[in-house]
Amino acid sequence: MEILKIEHLKKRFGDKEVLKGVEMTVPEHSVFGFIGRNGAGKTTTMKTVLGLLKPDEGDIYVAGEKVIYGQTATNRHIGYLPDVPEFYPFMTATEYLNFCGEITGVNKSESRKRSEELLELVGLAGEKHRIQGFSRGMKQRLGIAQALLNRPKLLICDEPTSALDPVGRKEILDILQAVKEQTTVLFSTHILSDVERICSDIAFLNDGVIVEQGTLAEIQGKNRTEEYLLETTREEEAKNLLQVFPNIQELQKNQLSIRGSEETLFKVLKYVADNKIPIHKVEHLEPTLESLFLEVVKG
Amino acid sequence: MRSLIAFMKKEWMEQVRTGRIVILGIIFVFLGIMNPAVAKLTPWLMELVSESMAEMGMTLTAVQVDAMDSWTQFYKNIPIGLIAFVLMQSGLFTKEYQSGTLVLTLTKGLERYKVVLAKTAVLLGLWSVYYWMCYAITYCYNDIYWENSIASHLGFAAMCWWLVGILVIAFMVLFSALMDSNTAVLTCTGGAFLAVYLLSLLPKVKEYTPAMLMSSSALLIGGVEVAIYYKAIMIAIVMSIASVALSIPVMNKRKV
Ligand SMILES: Nc1ncnc2c1ncn2[C@@H]1O[C@H](COP(=O)(O)OP(=O)(O)O)[C@@H](O)[C@H]1O
Ligand SMILES: [Mg+2]
Repeated sequence: MEILKIEHLKKRFGDKEVLKGVEMTVPEHSVFGFIGRNGAGKTTTMKTVLGLLKPDEGDIYVAGEKVIYGQTATNRHIGYLPDVPEFYPFMTATEYLNFCGEITGVNKSESRKRSEELLELVGLAGEKHRIQGFSRGMKQRLGIAQALLNRPKLLICDEPTSALDPVGRKEILDILQAVKEQTTVLFSTHILSDVERICSDIAFLNDGVIVEQGTLAEIQGKNRTEEYLLETTREEEAKNLLQVFPNIQELQKNQLSIRGSEETLFKVLKYVADNKIPIHKVEHLEPTLESLFLEVVKG
Repeated sequence: MRSLIAFMKKEWMEQVRTGRIVILGIIFVFLGIMNPAVAKLTPWLMELVSESMAEMGMTLTAVQVDAMDSWTQFYKNIPIGLIAFVLMQSGLFTKEYQSGTLVLTLTKGLERYKVVLAKTAVLLGLWSVYYWMCYAITYCYNDIYWENSIASHLGFAAMCWWLVGILVIAFMVLFSALMDSNTAVLTCTGGAFLAVYLLSLLPKVKEYTPAMLMSSSALLIGGVEVAIYYKAIMIAIVMSIASVALSIPVMNKRKV
């Protein structure tokens, strides 16, 4: 079952077409990484899902229900953490969560209990200060708490870790990891190590369309050429190999990158053995999202 | 209904914790006291002036003041109170758009019309309390020093000016739904009110325009029928309701 389905979403601002037909499906119970460069249109996509922006074309379904711009019905399935969450600064964290509970219509005692539980989860229990004195990290954590208040089927977080230091980032990732039992998590980011750490599924948004989508394992394995590092002892032999094999590239003076299948590697190694070329090391390079991302973005 | 009340409670908390409720309270209490105080002090001031005038060879006859002078002051001062109120509350919507606080509230499923209704209710409630408090203070002092009975239609005349405030607030709500900054809200609200005022300068339409209500103090000296204000009152009520009603679809369509 999919919790979110985006069909052929188009959106332009003035004469700039930001989304050019986004197709995306978020399976239930996934931690879904929505990846794209700054300005790719991640926030735009998310706001359209929330009915805060009007799409030029396309349909969006949340838990099978169609999203209608300006209306809030589908938002009852969603918990949302905006990129820069802003809360009423004159309230305390507890007051804010209780306020959210009341406008969502959860009954009072249930909502109080849930607030305490969530403040505990995000590490803000016992915080008596008003929100106006909160740090970025505290606001992000309160943001996740408010988003989870009504036990949403889908938690949407817009770049929850981008503005935080490594400690703050880890805190947020741990929280997202912890809640994946209860809800589907969709979060946007341009930090690929975050994605590798917690995501089960990913989609790449580039140039207004989704260029890759699938489970993390699928994408890491898919249409990838293997990459090996071969380090010769001397520079001249590296130069020699470069001339003999077209699919070898120079990384550093005597370090070469071999791209292709294992067969390609074996051919090179046979040549090395036949010619008794002294080598320093051979290494299989682990595929990273980073390199895949760069490949995809390059086109 | 519960969500509407919750949002109103939040508005109330904001008024209290940002200190706006106290500042405006002080302003209106001050205005309420100033009305009789100015009237009370006038003879004394005149005396001071007349002494120096006498030295120059001019004489002033002693002035008699009564409740009427205090009420005249009331109608001079209440526009100041209304302007202070509008200035301090003009950001009630726009601050939420600009800071983004409304985004979370709306994505929680609160219907937008409830935002409009809650804010309007708080504005109208506060204006009413401040206005009638100012009126009550002036009334009590007048009763202590003089006689309120020399002024006719006191309550009706005051109600007319209260309605002027309601209309201005309704304009402010409509422009708050339309505009992004509180400068724009203030400019448009002022502009709309000016337009109503300019219309009232045309003799044929004067009695239909709410601006007519601003001259309700004419009732106090007697000899004027309250009935001449009925049309303006009706129009003011209709315009107020229409402004608030119109701001709901506008709000539903706006980007937050
Ligand atoms: N309200 C707007 N008006 C005009 N351009 C906008 C608006 N919102 C976003 N954009 C543009 O759309 C593009 C995508 O923005 P955004 O969705 O915020 O990207 P991301 O969240 O992926 O960084 C950017 O180039 C941005 O300048
Ligand atoms: Mg963004």
